[in-house]
Amino acid sequence: MHTQDFPQLASVEQIEQGFESYGYICSRKIATAVFLAFQLRKPVLVEGPPGVGKTELAKTIALLLDIPLIRLQCYEGLDEAKALYEWKYGKQLLYTQVLKEKLGDLLQGAQGLAESVAKLHEFGDIFYSEEFLEPRPLLKAMQQEKGAILLIDEVDKSDYEFESLLLEILSDYQISIPEIGTVKARTTPMVFLTSNNTRDISDALKRRCLHLYIPFPTVELEERIIRSRVPDVDEQLRHQLVEFVHSLRQLDLKKVPAISETIDWARSLLLLHAQQLDEELVRSTLNVLLKYEEDIESTESELRALVRDRLVNRQAT
Amino acid sequence: MQSSLVSFIQVLRTHDVRISPAETLDAVDVAATLGYSDRSLLRDGLAMTLAKTPEEEVIFMHCFERFFQQDLANFSASEIPATSMEEQGLSPPANAERLAADYTAAQIAALHLAAETNPTLQALLQSTLMQRLVGNVRTELTLAINQAAERVGLQQIQLFTQKGQFTRRILDAMGEETIRNAVISLEQAESPALAVLQRYRDILREQVRDYVEREYLLYAEGKTRQFMDDILSKTRLNNIEHIYLHKVQELIRKMAKKLASRHSRKRKLLKRGRLDMAKTLRKGIPNDGVMFNTYWRQVRKEKPQILAVCDVSGSVAAYAKFLLLFLYSLQDVLPKVRSFAFSSHLGEVSAYFDDYPVEKAIELVNWKYGGATDYGSSLMDFAKLAMDDINSNTTVIILGDARNNNGDPKLEILQSIYQRARQVIWLNPESRRAWGSGDSEMLRYQSACHFSAECNNLKQLERIVDQLLKSTR
Repeated sequence: MHTQDFPQLASVEQIEQGFESYGYICSRKIATAVFLAFQLRKPVLVEGPPGVGKTELAKTIALLLDIPLIRLQCYEGLDEAKALYEWKYGKQLLYTQVLKEKLGDLLQGAQGLAESVAKLHEFGDIFYSEEFLEPRPLLKAMQQEKGAILLIDEVDKSDYEFESLLLEILSDYQISIPEIGTVKARTTPMVFLTSNNTRDISDALKRRCLHLYIPFPTVELEERIIRSRVPDVDEQLRHQLVEFVHSLRQLDLKKVPAISETIDWARSLLLLHAQQLDEELVRSTLNVLLKYEEDIESTESELRALVRDRLVNRQAT
Repeated sequence: MQSSLVSFIQVLRTHDVRISPAETLDAVDVAATLGYSDRSLLRDGLAMTLAKTPEEEVIFMHCFERFFQQDLANFSASEIPATSMEEQGLSPPANAERLAADYTAAQIAALHLAAETNPTLQALLQSTLMQRLVGNVRTELTLAINQAAERVGLQQIQLFTQKGQFTRRILDAMGEETIRNAVISLEQAESPALAVLQRYRDILREQVRDYVEREYLLYAEGKTRQFMDDILSKTRLNNIEHIYLHKVQELIRKMAKKLASRHSRKRKLLKRGRLDMAKTLRKGIPNDGVMFNTYWRQVRKEKPQILAVCDVSGSVAAYAKFLLLFLYSLQDVLPKVRSFAFSSHLGEVSAYFDDYPVEKAIELVNWKYGGATDYGSSLMDFAKLAMDDINSNTTVIILGDARNNNGDPKLEILQSIYQRARQVIWLNPESRRAWGSGDSEMLRYQSACHFSAECNNLKQLERIVDQLLKSTR
């Protein structure tokens, strides 16, 4: 990927603006990371609590650059057959069956077994050639002509073995297939790895990546995000709801609400034609923000105080 | 600028941020791409290559601020004695600035007046150092301190006791001596300008002291900690003072984590592997050679198991605390560890380790199983509890001094364990020379162990356990 092909990524400011036009409001740090990843051709390891827009980041870049997004969702037991490539065994077997009759023609005139085998050798490894190769996401990303965004999602869910598999791809952008040889990327893809920190990623992998940690956004940033994602919510309600979510994040919860939940909540409030927050409204829509029964219970007892605080704050300002 | 980037990375390393040479190269690339003009942009960019966890990022930000902050405090205006304001009866805020200027000018005039009769002071006032001080040219003064610090090798500072020494050396390198001489000569002449000059001297000293302090925090804080860790991990465990216990706990935890991340991989019994061609062909025979189904090679992985037995009797009490701590951490990080403790009788303690925090668990174990040692009956208990579980995948680790109070060692039990298990390992805190002396049964037990070693400090423990985990793969 070169700068002349993608003027959208020429500077940090341009990236910020480009993202904004696609409704992704980001901090300067995120834009810097994207800029560096593009300039230095390095993968980015994105970490942060769930729901802060890690996956969304990769999707937005694909939109911005108008190149395909290839996504590999990691899970326990993911192996190279599902991530890199696989031979089309069924096709291979079918072809051997169909071509069985042809064998006679081919071996015509051959004297003895040795000569027949020698004749067969002339055909080489047709059954292990590109036609019989089933590309999986990683190989597919290497084959894209115009380059691609490769998103390796939740890499912490995969096994350690899989991480080692990634090392060659991430540092040299190539894949070794024993039967064929080394396949180099046609155009270097931009790689994003996301992690929720359920386990430590190995140092070898971290070393090859730029490390981007996305925390929960500040009140101002989150308000901007809501404005861009749910533009119909009026300003007063937007301010209230963002403040309320921020105060929820201060509580000791099993799963704190993330940006995606704030957006969902803003949408539901809009549907309910709410003009401002009140206790009853919050109570009935709390299940949009909180995903555990015990969280909802523990918050309900403090709800009155939380909502009142928001209203008092607003009147004071 | 590149060299200062490298020394910044040096600083990060002393603060326990691990940075490889390759990452250093990345950082140089980042700096070249982003340029040095936008400070916060550069900071964020460098953080992405150098800090790999949120914790490291905090350390990074901290160090970045300290390393690239080189301003000295403004010392001209703040130094006016409060009394002089009251004397003039002025309201402080309104006239403070003008007053400060007046005050400084008056002082400088006093100095020049005194200089007319004093050649030493005359020479001093001509010197660049004094001119910078009097003129309050902070940037140049900072630069001078920086250069002096480089000349005396301040970056080598390691211990806080060296702070005074380095302050002195920097002052000497900057030519503070001339001020000192002038002060002495003014003192002898009982000149009124003495107080003024003394004040300038103190300002300079204070600035240098602050500077050294800051650099010490930057360079030596990490070094001191590394030094401590190093010493602690080489000290015999029963000699470590009580006050360092919590530090050791931390070390052990770090060590166990390191070992675990190196060795704890999830193992799966079955995994779809490569195509099993032979089987696929064979199974195709009933269908006239048409291969309807594909068959896959299955990979079978062994599940290793570790049984750890720890002596907690009085004779090894100080030692046992650490071993239990280690067992605790190990059980935390490895999936299949069963822990046992004994002195006169033996019991399984895995449940304590699972259910309670470390201090509480160790206390409970000591309280329940502490006492006089009886290896014979403990081995019998162990056989009863765990013998059925011991198979060719089991590693048995015994931690103890093998001092049996002249009781029956029941060697035959250990021998039968030896025959069943994949590995029996005995770690003894006593030095090899003491094995077999007095009531020690070590030499006899040793005959029924695959491996026995002396182990009385953390370094040895780590090395042995590392080997052990490698072989249990």
